[in-house]
Amino acid sequence: MLVSWKWLSNYVDLPSDRPEVEDRLSLSGLNHEGTEAPGPENGLTEGDVCIDLEVTSNRGDCLGHIGVAREIAVLYNRELKIPNVTLAASQADVASLLSVRNEDTGSCPRYTARVIQGVKVGPSPQWMQDALQAVGIGVVNNVVDATNYVMMECGQPLHAFDYSKIADKTIVVRRAVAEETLTAIDHKDYALTSDMCVIADAAQASAVAGVMGGADSEVNDQTTDVVIEAAIFLPLSVRRTARALKLHSPSSFRFERRVDPVGLDWASRRVCQLITEIAGGSVAEGVVDTAAEVPARDAIELRLDQIERLLGIVVPAAEVDRILVALGCQCEQSIAEGCGSFVPPPWRHDLTRPADLIEEVARIYGYDKIPEDSPIPVAPSSKRVFDSATEKIRTVMIAAGISEAMTPSVVTKGLDGSLSPWTERPALMTQTPMLKGAKSLRRTLMPSLLQARANNWAMASIHADLFEIAHIYLPGKTEADLPEELYTVGFVCGCDFFTAKGVIESLCQMMGVSGALQVEPVQRDGFVAGQIVQLKLGDADLGYLGVVAPKTLKQWKLPGEVVVAELSIPAFLAQAKLVPQQQVVSMFPSVERDLNFVMAEAVRWNELESIVRAAVGNQLKAVTYRETYRDPERDGKDTKRILLSLQLQKDDATLSGEEADALVQSVIGDCRRKLGAELLG
Amino acid sequence: MSLQNFLTALDSLKREAIDTLQSVADAEALEAARVKYAGQKKGALKDVQKLMGSVASEDRKTAGMGFNEAKNAIADALQAATDRFSQGGASGADPTFDPSLPGVRPRIGHVHPITQTITHLTEIMGRMGFEAAEGPEVEDPHHNFVALNIPEDHPARDPLDNFYLATAQAAEKSNTEGSRLLRSQTSTVQIRVMENKQPPIRVISLGRVYRPDDPDATHFPMFHQMEGLLVDKHVTMANLKTVLRVFATNYLGDDVQIRFRPSFFPFTEPSVEVDFLWDGQWIEFGGAGMVDPNVFKAVGYDPDQVSGFAFGLGVERLCMRRHGIKDIRDLYSGDMRFLSQF
Repeated sequence: MLVSWKWLSNYVDLPSDRPEVEDRLSLSGLNHEGTEAPGPENGLTEGDVCIDLEVTSNRGDCLGHIGVAREIAVLYNRELKIPNVTLAASQADVASLLSVRNEDTGSCPRYTARVIQGVKVGPSPQWMQDALQAVGIGVVNNVVDATNYVMMECGQPLHAFDYSKIADKTIVVRRAVAEETLTAIDHKDYALTSDMCVIADAAQASAVAGVMGGADSEVNDQTTDVVIEAAIFLPLSVRRTARALKLHSPSSFRFERRVDPVGLDWASRRVCQLITEIAGGSVAEGVVDTAAEVPARDAIELRLDQIERLLGIVVPAAEVDRILVALGCQCEQSIAEGCGSFVPPPWRHDLTRPADLIEEVARIYGYDKIPEDSPIPVAPSSKRVFDSATEKIRTVMIAAGISEAMTPSVVTKGLDGSLSPWTERPALMTQTPMLKGAKSLRRTLMPSLLQARANNWAMASIHADLFEIAHIYLPGKTEADLPEELYTVGFVCGCDFFTAKGVIESLCQMMGVSGALQVEPVQRDGFVAGQIVQLKLGDADLGYLGVVAPKTLKQWKLPGEVVVAELSIPAFLAQAKLVPQQQVVSMFPSVERDLNFVMAEAVRWNELESIVRAAVGNQLKAVTYRETYRDPERDGKDTKRILLSLQLQKDDATLSGEEADALVQSVIGDCRRKLGAELLG
Repeated sequence: MSLQNFLTALDSLKREAIDTLQSVADAEALEAARVKYAGQKKGALKDVQKLMGSVASEDRKTAGMGFNEAKNAIADALQAATDRFSQGGASGADPTFDPSLPGVRPRIGHVHPITQTITHLTEIMGRMGFEAAEGPEVEDPHHNFVALNIPEDHPARDPLDNFYLATAQAAEKSNTEGSRLLRSQTSTVQIRVMENKQPPIRVISLGRVYRPDDPDATHFPMFHQMEGLLVDKHVTMANLKTVLRVFATNYLGDDVQIRFRPSFFPFTEPSVEVDFLWDGQWIEFGGAGMVDPNVFKAVGYDPDQVSGFAFGLGVERLCMRRHGIKDIRDLYSGDMRFLSQF
C-alpha cells in the first residue's frame, strides 16, 4: 500500500517525526518497506513523500489512507477525522432511472448504484491529480479520478459507467455465458467463462465484476450521466477470475482482501459528492441497493485473564478498552470489571474471537513489552533412532570418500524412466512442473545421483562419488492411495561392484546388523545383465546394487564403470542394533589354515562359506576369501580354484594341532561331499 | 705377498669402503663404516697396512704410494659422508627429507551443509527439550490446509501456489485443487503429532517443503523448514520470546536481541514475524505465534484448557547466512566444487 504523507494528514494530525511513525507502524503490523521523496521517477509534489507499507492479507481495511490514519490515531492516541458527506437534494429519483438485478449473490452479496446527471467530464483539479500521482495512480478524467481517489481514501473500489451506454437502463449481475467476450478498459479482449461474475446491461457484459470495467461503457468526454457502482464482490470469485484472465487491478486486490460491507455506502456518497464538486451535475435521489440490510456483528467477550494467559503480561484494563474502542470496536461492557464485551467494526473481518482481540491489544500495546526471560520448564528429549542411524550412515559414507548431495525430489520423465529398481508402477505426477519439465515424483534416488555425477563430469571433469538420504515415493496399488514414502540412502560410485558392496557391508557392520547380507540376482532395465542384485537381510528386502549398463551411461555421457546402490533405511532400522555390545575376545592363540579348493564354476562363494561355517561351528572365528584362480588346462573346463583362510580358536583353551586338523578335515570332507570341491595339495 | 696381490686387495677395499660410505643412510651406519674401514685399532685399512711388511722391499715404495692413495680416498669419502649428515645440524637428520612437502590425504566425503545446519538446529532445540518429528511430504488438503485453519477461499490454497498431484479427475494440465499435494509447510507434522498425542507437546518438525517459485539466487521450489511447537497448560508469548531468544543466542553464539512484528498466519493468533539483531542489522528469522484456537479444535484439544506456541524458520536462509553461501541453487546442484567446501 502506497501512502502519501500529505494525503494522510487530512485524517489525523501527523507526528512530526516521520521515521519514528514508520517504525511504529512496522512494529504494529504495517511493515514499512520504504519511503520515496519527490524525484524524476515519481509523481510526488514538493513537500510530500510516499511511504510503502506491507499490508497482510487479513488487513484489507488498511488498503486506504483512512485505515492507515486510524492505525496512527490509535498508536499516538489522536483523533481520526473522517470527512462528512452530504449530498444536495435532487428532483430525480434513482429508481426511475435505473434498475439492478442480482443473479449471482454467490459472487456479489451486495450491489449498490447511484446516478449522477449532467456532469461535465474534464481534467480533475490539481490537488486530486497530485494525490493520485503521489501514489502512482494514473490520471484519466475528473469522474474516473474521483472513483480512484475514494478507493485510495477508504479502500472501497468504485466504478463509473456511462449511463447512456447501459441498454434498457438495467444492470444485471450475472455469470458470463459461453463464448462471451469483453473488451476491458485496457483495450484488450478477454474470453469469459461461466464461472466468472460480470456486470452486464440488458444486452451484454460491461465489466468483469470487481476486476475491471469494459471499454464500451467507460466514461469519456461525451459522457453526461454516470452510474456509480459500489459493491461487494467475494474474494474467491474475484481471485479466480483475476487469475484466470491474468488481469489484476487495484480493485481485484482489494476485493480479494474483503471490503467494508457498511462503509461502501459512505464511499458511494463520498464519490458522488466529489464528482458534483469537481464535475458538476446532480445526484439522483436515493440508491439502488440489492441488500441494504447488513447483519449486525456479534459482540466478543474478552476477559483480562485471557490476555495474561496468552501474552504472559498484564495489560491495564483502561488501556485494553482504549485500544479496542479506538480501533473502531463498540464497547458494550468495559473490561475493567474483568470481562468486557466488544462489537468489532464492520471493516475488521478478522476480528471474531477473543484471541483476535488479544492480538489487537498486543500489537498496539507493544510486543516489546513482552519479556524474554520467561523460561519453559525442563523436559527430557531424546534423539530419534532414525537420526542416530542416519548419522552412522553418513559417517560410513564420508569415510568411504562419498559426499552427500541433495537433489530435487521431482524429476523429468526421462530421468524417472531411466532406472526404477523398486517398482514398475508409474510415478505420481505433479500438475505444475517443479523445474524444467520435472513432474514425476521420483521412485528412486539413483537417476538423480547419476545426473549429478554427469553434471560434475560435464562441468569440471570430476568423477563425483555422491550419496543422498531422502524420501522416494512408491505409488500405491490404486491412484487414490497415498504413496509409500520410503526413506532411502542411495549412492553412485565410479568403482567396481565389490568396492560398492564393501561399502554396504561396512554400513551393515556399523549399524550392528546381525544377519548376513545376501544378494539375489534380479533383472532390471538399465543395468549390466547379471550384475544387478537385490540385497537382503534375512527375509527382508534391503535394496538394490548394480553396475549401470554402458548404454544407459551414454544417456549421461558418463565415462568408466559406474555402480549405483540404494538401501531402505526402515529395513536397516528393523535389524539394526545401534548400541554396540562388547563381545568377549578369546585370550587363547588362534590357528590359521589356508585351503585351496577346486570346484565347478557354478558354485557360489556364499554356498562355500556357509558349508565351511557349518562344518566347523563356533570354533571358527573367521573364514576369509582370498582369491579365485582359473586354470582350465590343469583343472578342466568350467572349474575354478578358490583360496580361503580359516581362523580357528577356542574361547576356553588353546586349540591343539590335532583339534585344528580334525576341524579342517571336517571342512574338506563337507566341501567334497556337498559341493564336489576337491582340496588341492 | 706379491705387489700385485697387495694392490688388488687394496683396490677392492678402497672400492668397498667408498661404496659403503656413499650409501650409508644414517649417522649410526656411518659410524659403523668408519670403525670398519678406518678404525685406529681394528680397521680394515690398518689390516692392509700390516700386510705391507710382507711385500718385497723393492716394491714397498710403490705399495706405500698405493696405500696412501687408498687411505686418502677413503678419508675423503668418510669426510663427505660426515658432511652429509652434519648439514642438518648435530641431529644427524637426512637432508633429503623435506617435511614441507604436502601430506597424503585420505579421501573422505563431505556432509551437506543443509544436513549440518539441521543437525545443529536439532541439537540446540533438543537441549530445550524439543524432540524431532516427521511426517509425509505428500499430504492431503486436510493436513496441509483445513486443520491449519486455512479455509477453502484462502489464497494459500491456490493451485498456482502449490504442487497438487495430477489424478484422473484433475487432468495433468488443468491446474485444479487436487486431493493430494506436496506439502507447502512442515506445519502439517504438528497436526499429525497433535492428532496422535495429548499435551504436553514439545516437538520440532524438519523436512523438505515445496512451493512453485522460479529458481533464482534466493528462491528454489524445494526447501527445508524447521517448525517448533509447544503445547501445555500455561504457555505464553513470553515463553515464545524466551525460547526464540535462547535459540538465537545459541545459534549465533552471542547475546542476541530479538523483536516481534505483527504478522498474519492462519494457524496462529497472535501471529508475529521474528527479527534478530545481527551485526547491527535486524534480520528476519521466521514466523511465529500462539496456536490458533481453531487449530486446537481441529485436533480435538480444548483451547480453554491448553495454549501453545509455534514458530517456523527457513533452514536454507540460516545455512546460507552462516556459511556465506550466495546462491541457493548451489545447495541442490550436487556440484563437488561446492560440496567439497563443507
